[in-house]
Amino acid sequence: MASIVRPSLLRQTALAARCAKPAFRNNAIKASAFHTSSQRSAFLPPGPQRIEGTVNDPAPVPPPSASHGSYHWTFERLLAAGLVPLTIAPFAAGSLNPTTDAILCSAVLLHSHIGFQSVIIDYIPKTRYSGLRKIFWWGLNLATVTVGVGLYEFETNDIGVTEAIKKIWKA
Amino acid sequence: MIAHRLGLAAVRSATKPNVFFRQNIPRMVLASAMSTSQARPIQTQKLSQEEGQQVLVNQRLNRPVSPNLGIYKMEQTWFGASAWTRITGCVLSGAAYVYFTAYLASPLLGLHVESAALASGFAALPFVVKGAIKFALAFPFTFHFINGIKHLVYDLGIGFAKSQIKRGEAALWISSFIGGGYLAFGL
Repeated sequence: MASIVRPSLLRQTALAARCAKPAFRNNAIKASAFHTSSQRSAFLPPGPQRIEGTVNDPAPVPPPSASHGSYHWTFERLLAAGLVPLTIAPFAAGSLNPTTDAILCSAVLLHSHIGFQSVIIDYIPKTRYSGLRKIFWWGLNLATVTVGVGLYEFETNDIGVTEAIKKIWKA
Repeated sequence: MIAHRLGLAAVRSATKPNVFFRQNIPRMVLASAMSTSQARPIQTQKLSQEEGQQVLVNQRLNRPVSPNLGIYKMEQTWFGASAWTRITGCVLSGAAYVYFTAYLASPLLGLHVESAALASGFAALPFVVKGAIKFALAFPFTFHFINGIKHLVYDLGIGFAKSQIKRGEAALWISSFIGGGYLAFGL
């Protein structure tokens, strides 16, 4: 009936509208298929979710803190930039120096600790897995302290990290 | 707007006499159907604030995971240099954490992981195995080292042109493979 109802001019317009922009329509179909499909190509399913307050509340803005923000960022970068010469120098110079070795080990330990921290922050969100987050966070702290003590023992009782790497590498 | 015009045209033409008699009757039917009083076949359900909230929470659980790795190009997710910097860094730091924890615990467990024991054990391995182990440590090191410097340069706000990024990525992968190979087999 619809085709009879339409005046001829409208029929042309409708025909043009039907042909126009098939790409846009395809994308829209694909997008809606993606959003409604039950098959999800992700590594893990989403964690338990809850809404804080009402659904219309904006995402909370964390209180500004320089020690968690800009100072931390700058410190991270200074540490990383400092590691560039620190890793090259002892091998290039070819001499054993306990002081540079100690500085290198402390810098690497801090750099690793910050790196592992950001991995935990990114993949174990506090809002979804607060218990697991705490376990990993304090587990990392414990591991870093243990490794720090281990490094101290290695530096005092063994031949030092730089020398040990050199010795094993050329073995 | 088209629907509105259609309705308007139908109303107008229904009142006028039309030479094409066949078309007149459906138009009149349509015009009469476009009255202001409509009977809607659906019913709405009254929900309390808490019930509405629960509906929204359940809808949110059905959303796809974001960012969903499936929607990106292969080279952006699987070969993204930034992700591999994290992976290589975790490999190196993880190996160091495991080794120094083992070193600290070795007297209690009766293990021999001090440098002299490791060096003599390593020397006994065949050349290919030695090279493979060295490469497994040297490649993550060169990759992390080179891309770490690249990211420090990015932090200065330099190198964000698309051509620079593409050339940088290629240079990074090639140089870290060559560097890792040199450290493993050349030294």
